Order: sequence, then C-alpha cells, then structure tokens
Amino acid sequence: MDVTERLPIPPAPPSESALRVRARRAGELTANVLSNPTTLTGLIIILLMISMALLAPWITVPNTPDPTQMPRDWGAIAVPPGSPGHPLGTTNTGGDVLYGVIWGARTSLRLSLIVVSITVTVGVAIGSLAGFLGGRIDEILMRIVDVFLSIPELIFALAIAAVLGPSFRNIILALAVVFWVKYARIMRAQVIHVKQNEYVDAARVIGDAPLRIFGKDILPNSITPVIVQATLDMGNIVLVGATLSFIGLAEAGLAEWGVLVSEGQAGISAGRWWASTFPGMMVFLWALAFNLLGDGLRDVLDPRTETSR
Amino acid sequence: MTTAVEADTRTLIAVRGLKKHFPIKEGALQRVTGHVQAVDEVSFDIEKGQTLGLVGESGCGKTTLGRLVAGLSEPTAGGVYFDLGPQEKIELDRLMASDAERAEFDDEHRVDLLKGDAWRRFRRNTQMVFQDSFASLNPRQLVKDIVGRPLRVHREASGTALVERVVELLEQVGLGRQHLYRYPHQFSGGQRQRISIARALALDPGLVVLDEPSSALDVSVQAQILNLLHDLQADRGLTYLFITHDLSVVRHMADQIVVMYLGRVSERAPTDDLFAAPRHPYTEALLRASPDLDADGDEDGFQGLEGSVPDPARPPQGCRFHTRCVYATRVCGWEIDDVVLRLEETPGLFDRLEDVERRSPFDAELRFESEQAARTLVSTFQNEAPEPMRDALEDMTVEGRTVAIRFNPVPEVELTSRGTDHEAACVLEDFGSN
Ligand SMILES: Nc1ncnc2c1ncn2[C@@H]1O[C@H](COP(=O)(O)OP(=O)(O)OP(=O)(O)O)[C@@H](O)[C@H]1O
Ligand code: SF4
Ligand SMILES: [Mg+2]
Repeated sequence: MDVTERLPIPPAPPSESALRVRARRAGELTANVLSNPTTLTGLIIILLMISMALLAPWITVPNTPDPTQMPRDWGAIAVPPGSPGHPLGTTNTGGDVLYGVIWGARTSLRLSLIVVSITVTVGVAIGSLAGFLGGRIDEILMRIVDVFLSIPELIFALAIAAVLGPSFRNIILALAVVFWVKYARIMRAQVIHVKQNEYVDAARVIGDAPLRIFGKDILPNSITPVIVQATLDMGNIVLVGATLSFIGLAEAGLAEWGVLVSEGQAGISAGRWWASTFPGMMVFLWALAFNLLGDGLRDVLDPRTETSR
Repeated sequence: MTTAVEADTRTLIAVRGLKKHFPIKEGALQRVTGHVQAVDEVSFDIEKGQTLGLVGESGCGKTTLGRLVAGLSEPTAGGVYFDLGPQEKIELDRLMASDAERAEFDDEHRVDLLKGDAWRRFRRNTQMVFQDSFASLNPRQLVKDIVGRPLRVHREASGTALVERVVELLEQVGLGRQHLYRYPHQFSGGQRQRISIARALALDPGLVVLDEPSSALDVSVQAQILNLLHDLQADRGLTYLFITHDLSVVRHMADQIVVMYLGRVSERAPTDDLFAAPRHPYTEALLRASPDLDADGDEDGFQGLEGSVPDPARPPQGCRFHTRCVYATRVCGWEIDDVVLRLEETPGLFDRLEDVERRSPFDAELRFESEQAARTLVSTFQNEAPEPMRDALEDMTVEGRTVAIRFNPVPEVELTSRGTDHEAACVLEDFGSN
C-alpha cells in the first residue's frame, strides 16, 4: 500500500531555506500554468490588454480636459477604418474608435479591479466569519446571502444602477453590491470544510490562538477557489458592466466599450459596422481571456492535483 | 502509599462520568431527532509514566474520548480532570453526585474549562497524534514551521535557535536536517506520522494521546512507529493514552487497558490480567478476532465477532453487547428492537409489518397486514429466537393483526469490580470458566 515508504528522499542542498523552497514552488506553479496552451493564450491576451490600459496616455493623444471621454472629430463623422487619423474609423458623432478601444481597456481594468477587490474583501470576510464562527452569526449572514442570491446578478445590478442614476461610478457601486455574495458562499463552504481537518485540531492542541489558526491553517487552505472565481469575475464584471452601460446606465460619451457598442449600433443597418464591432470584440476577448486563465488556474491550484505531483 | 511524596501520587488525568452526545439533525429545518452516544458514562485514571490502551471496534467512540482528554471538545456531562492530588481525587468522587456543587471544582480542574496559567500548563502537558497523518499536517506549511510551531506559540525559541530545536526533534523521530524545508506531501505515511510525533514532543509534554498512530500504515512501517513510540516513552518518561482497534498493538505497551463498546467501558483491567483472563465476553471476542492473540490457537472456526455494531444513536438496552454476545442470558436486555431486527432478516414478514407502537423499549404492539402474518411472527419467534431471548419474554399475544410483545425490563448493566483494579460490565460474574 505504502510503496513510497522505502524510497529515500534525496538530501536537500545545504543552502536550502524556506524562502528558496517557496520561490521554487511558486516557480513550479507558474510553469504549470504556462504549460497549458489555452491558459497561456488567455494570459497573453490579458497582458496585452493590461499594457494597453496602462499605456493609454502614451499611445494615444489624451482627450482634454477629461481623457476618459471620447474625443470628437466633427470633421470626420462616421468614417470607415483606414481613414487618415482614424485607423479604426469614427462613430456617428466623430468619436475615434481606436481611442475608445484603448481607453475602454483602461476603464474596464479600473472597473474590474475596483469591483473585484471590494467584493473579494467583503465576501471573504463575511464568508469566513460565518464559516469559522458558525451558529447564529452564520445563520443570520447566510439568510442575507440567500436574499441576494435569489435575484439574478444582472437584473439586480441593473435595478441598483437604475435607482442610483446613470453614471459609471454607480455601475461600479451596483456591481460591488451584487458580486460579493458568491465569494461569501464559496468562502463559507471552504472554511467549514477546511476547519474540520485534523491540522486545525493539531494547532489547537499546541495552544495556538483562534485568529492565528485562521490565518495560518484555514485561510491559506480555503482561498484557492476564491482566487479562481476572482479571475473569472475579472472577465464577467467587464461583461456585465458593458451590458449596463450599453443600455444607457453610464454617461454618454464615456470611452467605454459598452457605451461605444451602444452608440455604434444605430449605424449597423447603414453598413457602418466598425463603431460597435471593435469595442464589442474587446469585451468578448477580455471576458474570454480571463475565463481561460481562471479555468487554467483551477486545474493547477486544485489541491488534489497539486499534492499528486 | 501514604509515605510517598505527594508528586508521585498525583493523577495525571482523571476521567469521570464522561459523556459526549452528538445531536443528529434531520430535514430542512435541522431538527434534532436524536443523539449519537459517542461516549457515555466513562471513568478511568491515567497515571504518570503509564500507558493506557483504549481499545474497541470502529465507531465505538475512541477518537471522541481521545479528543475530550486532549481538551479539544467539551463534554456533554462529566469531565476530564487534570493533575489531581489524592485529596482532590477524593473530593471529586464525592462531588460527582451533584453537578451544581461540582461547578467550582470543575472551573479549577476540568480541562475544557481551564484558564490562564492552568490552561497553558495543561496545553503544554497534553499533546495528541492524530489518526490521519495526511489530514493532521497543514499542506501549506514546511516541516520546519509545523514542528517549530509549538515552540513559537509558547515563545520557547525563534530564529536559528528554533531551527536547531526542530532539527533535534526531527532526529529524535528518525528524520533529519534535510527534511526541514519540505512540504508534508513530499513524505510517505510513516514519515508524516514521525513529523506529527516530533510536533507532539516539541513542548516536552507529559501526556500524549495517540489516536491509532500506526493503523493507517503498512505492517513493516507500523512496527517501526511502535518501536519509536516505545523508545521515546522510555527516554522521556512519557505517559500515553494509546488508542487502537487492535489489542495486539497495545499488548506489549500498555499497563492498563480500557475496552470500549458503543461509547461505554465494557472492561477495564491491568494488561496482563486482561489477556490472561478476560472478564467480559466482548473482550474475549476481540481477543479471538485478533489472529496473533487467540491464545488457545484452536481452529474451531469461532469468529468471535459476528454481526455489526448497532446504531450508536439507539444503543441496545441492558447490556449494549447483547445483540452479538454468545453468552447472552435472559437478563441481558432483550427488547422490541431485537424482534424488529429479526423481522428485518425475514424479508417476507418484514414487508408485511405496518406499524410498531412502542410504549417503552421493552413493550410494544406490532401491527401486520394480516392476521396470518402476525401468527407467523409468533411461531417464527418461538421456533427460531435464541433461548435467552424467549426466556426474557413476559408476554406475546396475538389479537387480530396485532402482536403485543412485552419483555422483562432491565436496567443498563453497570461496571462492577472483578478484583484489584479490574472491572467489567457483564451480568455474568464468571463466563470464562467454560
Ligand atoms: N462531530 C461529530 N458529530 C456527530 N457524530 C459524531 C461526531 N464525531 C463522531 N461521531 C460519531 O460518534 C461515534 C464515535 O465516533 P469516533 O470517531 O469517536 O469512533 P472511533 O472509535 O474513533 O472509530 P474509528 O475506529 O473509526 O476511528 C460514531 O458513531 C461517529 O459517527
Ligand atoms: S451482560 Fe454479559 S452475557 Fe449478557 S450480553 Fe452482555 S456481555 Fe453478554
Ligand atoms: Mg477514531
């Protein structure tokens, strides 16, 4: 049964240290992630998108005074891709599509980072509290979560954003209110599962304090699915956010993919496909890339496959 | 005895009237529909430097008891008491009669209620090695952090001093410096159990609860671990609560053995006495079921332990072992459930049972589909039920489709003395003479 017992473990190099071992492990994990071609594709797209977002002020001429707004070229209304000065064409109102695509990446990155960091923090905190403490607190928190879960994400976000009034800031707020619930659920289930492990009892038996047990034993062993979900949500949130701005819940004129798709929509029947196709493709690519990476992470970070290596 | 120094007569752990009942929750509303009596009315002492073997089949409550002793869970009733002097022990036994009067004593001595310095003293004194060597090591920690953690928690060492202490500990359990910076999954089962043992020894404890430390391992590795535990005990004067389902494992290690069945102690005796002359049929059955232990070596095909362990949520009346005991008598606790169990084994008949209306565990009316089925039960019972069960019957009458059955009610069989430090819970004073 236990064939490994007699296999000697090769002696470690004398210069071994915790830091090195951890770094090597991180390196192995990264190599594992990169060895999967679909995951790698996702990662490359994401890196391109992020560089585009970060470099936006340098690869375009920022619109003044507010670069997040579309610049208007009233002399070139609805020109097709390849026109001088407008490689991806312009919208009905003379907005440069390339500018929108690039600054849209920046808007999307801001949106998804803000929403994911808020929702992960809130969700992990609430889920941990419920799962770790259990009892009445758990019951109350989960009752609240159930209420949130009973309303479909998109409709809920839409309702909140509509009530708050149309602005991109309110879209961020609405998504933050809606998206934490999943993390709370995942985290609670993980914590309840992980805290039954004997290594938690082993930590109690040596007299370690509950908070440190949470930090050392429970959190690190519970967080993986949250990381995977957060990666997927980096994509999903942009998709939902674009949907909301598409139906007019963001300020008109914002350099944002959903807004651009919506603006360009009117021209499609007249054959002016470019104004909504390019930003639409960006939304699709963005969501796809994060989903590819998320799926790849799930496979690599899964503790079962991890220990078998 | 009275001349001995106080320190020598202190009892490291006294378990008294200990109960742990787990609620069974069912349905969407999670209503409590019953309790698993994982540990019920258990009492014994663990003396310093000794090994107490805790033996029983799977599910009889050994781990639950071990966790209570290690202070990892709160008892439903009774308690585990740490480090009592002779006077305190007498006091405790006097106070066992009343929970209210014991409250103050409990606060000072019951392990799950200890606070401050007393708690720290107990925590350092009592460690545990768990059943599952995979689950008991945090997969995200390095061996250095796992074994060094107790030292860090109790601020005994840090930095390079900590690393050196960890290396020392690893060497004591047959591992070494080269294993410091590895993750648990890089080790075999036996090695992981060694890591667990090293961690348990880090604080130089008095008592180590060993929950089946070797049973998940390969036979050859098992022996290595047992030898290691034996040597460590000799070197460090450790006290063990050694949990196992296999009597042969504790034969050469334990000074005293407690045999558990369905949450209760069925026999407690010094190891030599228990092996020489078991005074409970369950112990005898365990001995016979263990091939290396069957003393007479008679190849009579006697299996010792037939049938399965009953549901611990509804332990049998009288003697909990009566459903499987080959010596069972009429006063061993025959009850309605035994009739129902027999019915279940007669499929044609069980299908025709419509309802059981219990007035007590011993007294019920069984309603069948037809009068004929009711009569079949009676005749089957009279022809096939074991004689002691038939003798225990007070009344069995058929009225139409119903059979009224009444057994002689008997109380739970208590532990009674069988000589010096030897107790057994059996109505038969002496079954073994045959
Ligand atoms: N936390 C719990 N909640 C509910 N029931 C429990 C719990 N822990 C144990 N039990 C039940 O209590 C009984 C005793 O379990 P325990 O683990 O103590 O047995 P054991 O003797 O250690 O068995 P094994 O040899 O399989 O380890 C079992 O019926 C088990 O299902
Ligand atoms: S009391 Fe003794 S004889 Fe009766 S069932 Fe129990 S163990 Fe067997
Ligand atoms: Mg167990």
